[in-house]
Amino acid sequence: MDTLAYYNDLMARMEELFFHELSDCAGWKTEFIGVDFIQSAAVQGDSRDELIRNSLQAMVDAGLIRGAAFAVAGHDILLTLKVRGCQHMRKEVKLKARGIKLYNCIIANMLNDQLIEKLGYTTTYVAAIDADEDDGLCQVKVAIYETPEKIGCVSDWSEECRKIDEEDRWIRVGA
Amino acid sequence: MTDILDVIVTRKSIRRFKPDPVPEEMIDKVLEAARWAPTGENYQPWRFIVIRDQETRNKIGDLAKLGSGSRMTAWYCLGHMQERFMKIEDPAKRASVLEFMYSGRVSEFAKTSPVVIAVLGSLKEGSVDVPYDLSAAIENILLEAHSLGLGGCWVHGPVASSRDAVKFKKILNIPTAMSEYKVIAYIAIGWALEQRKHPRPKLPLEELVFWEEFGKTTRPKLPLEELVYYESFDEKGKA
Repeated sequence: MDTLAYYNDLMARMEELFFHELSDCAGWKTEFIGVDFIQSAAVQGDSRDELIRNSLQAMVDAGLIRGAAFAVAGHDILLTLKVRGCQHMRKEVKLKARGIKLYNCIIANMLNDQLIEKLGYTTTYVAAIDADEDDGLCQVKVAIYETPEKIGCVSDWSEECRKIDEEDRWIRVGA
Repeated sequence: MTDILDVIVTRKSIRRFKPDPVPEEMIDKVLEAARWAPTGENYQPWRFIVIRDQETRNKIGDLAKLGSGSRMTAWYCLGHMQERFMKIEDPAKRASVLEFMYSGRVSEFAKTSPVVIAVLGSLKEGSVDVPYDLSAAIENILLEAHSLGLGGCWVHGPVASSRDAVKFKKILNIPTAMSEYKVIAYIAIGWALEQRKHPRPKLPLEELVFWEEFGKTTRPKLPLEELVYYESFDEKGKA
């Protein structure tokens, strides 16, 4: 039996039901999904980038993802993330096939948890998730707010992402 | 029985309040209205916390501001909010409204409303469809407040995310276990400072209502044979 497929199929059904109950609010409620693993991993990191890098490395070491790259921009609010070989890709593909906008990135939830719990970030919000089964790549945009004053510091995230690519500001972890 | 449609259609969400206190008997009446909302199995899951302490209201206002602001800042940065507000033609006014939204200030008015009512529901054994019951109670509160000349607004912002819901519970000493109580919203109540335009545009019934099955927008007509008699009246269905 393919236990990974089995558990991802269960999660896809749960997320489908949850979306049906809460529509676009569903993602606001799922931020604790995944935190048990990362909290048990005892990740260290004194700075934002170090903590994110070490958290992603813990996920690579555990086989949850094959690799990742991240960058922070836009007044230090935009955390943009590329995840390759995520064990939850099957769940995302199933949801997309059922017409449900992806809303629960477990990898992002773990990073947000660490930023809040270890560095005292005020709040976070997973803003956009895309999963491409053919490439095996997920791309996620997360708003991370270190302090309350960061709320309302806006920028054009398309432009920010273009500059990150242009200047190759990605920090890479794993494959 | 009095038709309450006038109360329903003239109600509007009020977010700016005079500092004047709300009389105790008015608070009692809005709570009484809540108590009579429809509830599955007559379970009555609702519990209400009436908050007038300024410090507590400030904490709730700050939490609501962070909740709404964190989401709306991201939506703005993704370009989603700009599209939504294109209907405001004056660019300066549009920018000002957008800033009011993504800064989160749109949701922090618990600080200036003299009364805040937190609405929570018991999830203990026997509870069914708690959020629906609570929503009905909230509507009763808003309608009763409006009928008394008060203004009010229903705010989900400070409890929308799971982490914020925990923070909200801690502010009010509500047990934080997810198995015990669900917090759904707070309602700000007070004397309106603003005179909002009314009515706000509502979709016409033709866009909202189907007849007999989903998608059928035409109200069925009775067949002629049920309407027309020949030579003399003959009540159908009677022996």
